[in-house]
Amino acid sequence: MESLDIKRDSAENDDSMTGLQDPPISPPAPEPSPAVPPHPTPSSRPSGHAIEAIDLVRTYRTHTGVIRRKPMEVEAVKGVSFQVEPGELFGLLGPNGAGKTTTIKMLITLLLPTSGTARVMGFDVVRDTTDVRRRIGYVFGGDRGLYDRVSGIDNLRYFAELYGVEPSEQRRRIGALLELVGLTGRENEKVEGYSRGMRQRLHIARGLLHDPEVIFMDEPSIGLDPVGARELRHTVRSLVDAGKTVLLTTHYMFEADALCDRIAVINAGRIVALGTGADLKDAIAERTIVEIETFGVTDEAVERLRRDDDVSAINMEERDQSQILLVQSDRGAHITQRLLSLLGDTRVGKVVAREPTLEDAYVHLIATTGDDEARAARAASVQ
Amino acid sequence: MGSGRTLRLIGFVTWFNVRMLLTSEFFILLTFISPLIFATLGFFLFRSGGGTGGHTLLYVALGAGMMGVWSTTLFGCGGAIAWQRWEGTLELLVNAPTRYDFILVGQTFGAVLFGFYGIVATLVWGVLLFGMPIEATYPLILPLSLVAAIVSLGSLGMLIATTFVLYRHANALGNLLEYPIWLITGLLVPVATLPLWVKPLSWLLAPTWGMEAIRGATIGADPPTLAIVMCFALAVVYYLAARITLVFVLAKARRDATLSLQ
Repeated sequence: MESLDIKRDSAENDDSMTGLQDPPISPPAPEPSPAVPPHPTPSSRPSGHAIEAIDLVRTYRTHTGVIRRKPMEVEAVKGVSFQVEPGELFGLLGPNGAGKTTTIKMLITLLLPTSGTARVMGFDVVRDTTDVRRRIGYVFGGDRGLYDRVSGIDNLRYFAELYGVEPSEQRRRIGALLELVGLTGRENEKVEGYSRGMRQRLHIARGLLHDPEVIFMDEPSIGLDPVGARELRHTVRSLVDAGKTVLLTTHYMFEADALCDRIAVINAGRIVALGTGADLKDAIAERTIVEIETFGVTDEAVERLRRDDDVSAINMEERDQSQILLVQSDRGAHITQRLLSLLGDTRVGKVVAREPTLEDAYVHLIATTGDDEARAARAASVQ
Repeated sequence: MGSGRTLRLIGFVTWFNVRMLLTSEFFILLTFISPLIFATLGFFLFRSGGGTGGHTLLYVALGAGMMGVWSTTLFGCGGAIAWQRWEGTLELLVNAPTRYDFILVGQTFGAVLFGFYGIVATLVWGVLLFGMPIEATYPLILPLSLVAAIVSLGSLGMLIATTFVLYRHANALGNLLEYPIWLITGLLVPVATLPLWVKPLSWLLAPTWGMEAIRGATIGADPPTLAIVMCFALAVVYYLAARITLVFVLAKARRDATLSLQ
C-alpha cells in the first residue's frame, strides 16, 4: 500500500505562485504539414510515466463589471504535481471549482499551462500537441460534445475520420465499440433522441475510436441514473483491464473509491492528498462521526458547533424537511451531549455516532485544506 | 497520411457538413427560398426600370443566385463554428490529431457547395416565371467559372471562419457582412457604377470576381480570363491568410480558454 501524502497550504506553495501573470510559457509549435503525421518517438525526457504533471499552474484572466471593466486574475490550478503509471486508473477527486477540469484540459492540450510542465506518454503537452492528441482519448460528462441532429453511427464515422482511423479499420472498430458500450441496434437513431446514459456511452465510444493509450474522463457519470452509473463504472474498469491508462475526475467519493487504484484529492487548485482509498480513510481512522438530524437548524447554531475546539469539520446535507449535520471529532462519541447542548433550542431527530467512511475523509480534507478564501466560502455555505 | 487520405478527409467533412446543414430549417429556408425572393424582387425592379431584355434578366438571376451563395457561405461557415461551440464539439475538433485547417476547408466548402444550389434555383425560377432565356456565350468556360467562384468563396469563408473560432460573438459581426458585400461586389449593381473609392475594396473580395467569371461566361462579350485567374489567386491568398491566422487563433484559444465558452 502506498503511503498517504497529505499536503497542507504552505508559504512555500504560495511563493511558487507569485509573479505568474500570463498563461503561456512558450508559444505552441506550428502544426506539421501532413493531416496526421507519422508516429515519432518522444522528443522530451522519457519518464516511464503515462502521465506526469509537474507544478502545473493555470491562471485565468477575467473581468468584473460591464461598463467599467475591472480586470482580475483567477488562479484555478496552483502547482499540481502527480504521476500516473501505465495501466493505472487514477482518480482526481474534488468539489466543483477545485481545478479538476482545468488540470485535465492542460493535460489534453486544450489549455496552455501558465507555468509548470506536463507530459503524456513522454510527450510535452505544450510542444508536442499532435503527438499527445494521437495517444489520448477525451470523454466528458453532460449533454454536450455530440452532433445531436445526426445518428450515433454518423457521429462515430465522422470522428473516426478526424482521429485518423484507417478507412479499412473503421467499420470493424465502430462495430466493436458499439458492442462494448451497449449501443448496438440503436446506432442509426438520431442522437437527440438518446437518453443521458446512451449519450454518455456514445461519448466513450467516440473517445476510444483511435485506440488511445491514455483516456481522460472528466466527470463521465454526471447526471447518470444509478444503473447507468454502474454500467459506466463497469466499462471504465474493463478499459483498465484491457491495459489502458485512465485518468478520471469525479466529485463522487464512492465512484473514486470503487474504481481508482489511486486517488488525488484536489481542492482550491492544489492536490491536498494522494493515495489509495484505504490510505485516505486511515487519515481519519481515529475520528468519530456524529450524525445529527435537525429540523430548521439556524446559522448561529451551526456556527457554534463549528467553533468548538473538539470539532474538526462539519458538513450539512439538506433533506426534504430536515438537515443532517455530519460532525467530525477526535473525541469519540463523548462529544455528542455537548454538541446537542450547543444546538440550543434546535429540534433534533435521530443522532448516530459511527466510524468514518471514505466520504468523511474527503469532507475532512476539503474542510481543512485549500486557501482562506475557499475555506471562508465553505463556512458560509455550511451556514 | 498521404494526400489521398487528406482529400478523403476533406471530402468526408464536406459531406458531413452538408448533411448537418440539411437538418437546419433556418439554413434550408435561407438557401432554398431567399435566392428566389431576391430574384423575384430583381426581376420586377429591372422590369419597372425598362430593362426587359434577356441578358438583363439573366444578369439579375445570376446576381440573385450569388447573393444566396454569399449568405450561405457566411452563415454556413460562421454559423457552423458557432453551432459547434454551442454543442461542445468545437473543442473536440480542435483537439483531434488531424490538422484543423483541413477540417475547416471541408466545413467551408460544404456550405459553399450547398449555396450554389441558389444559382440553379434562380435560373429555373427566371425561366419558369419570367420567360428568361438560358444561354451561355462561353459554355465550355462556364464550368471553370463555377469552380473558380466556389474555390474563391470557400477560401474567403474559411478566412472569416477562423475569427469565429476565437470569438464566440463573432456571429453578430458576420451578420453585418451580408448586405455590404452584396452591394460592393457587383451582385446587386455593376461594380462600374460604384464610387471610385469602393472599387479597390471590391477587387479584394472573391464574390466580385466569382460573379464576374460566371456572368462573363454566360452573357459576357469576352472570355472571363482575368476573373477566373483572380478567383484562384485570391483563393490562394485567402487560404494562406487563413492558415497563418489559424495558428495564432488556436494558440490564443489555448491561452485564453475560449473554445468551450458558449
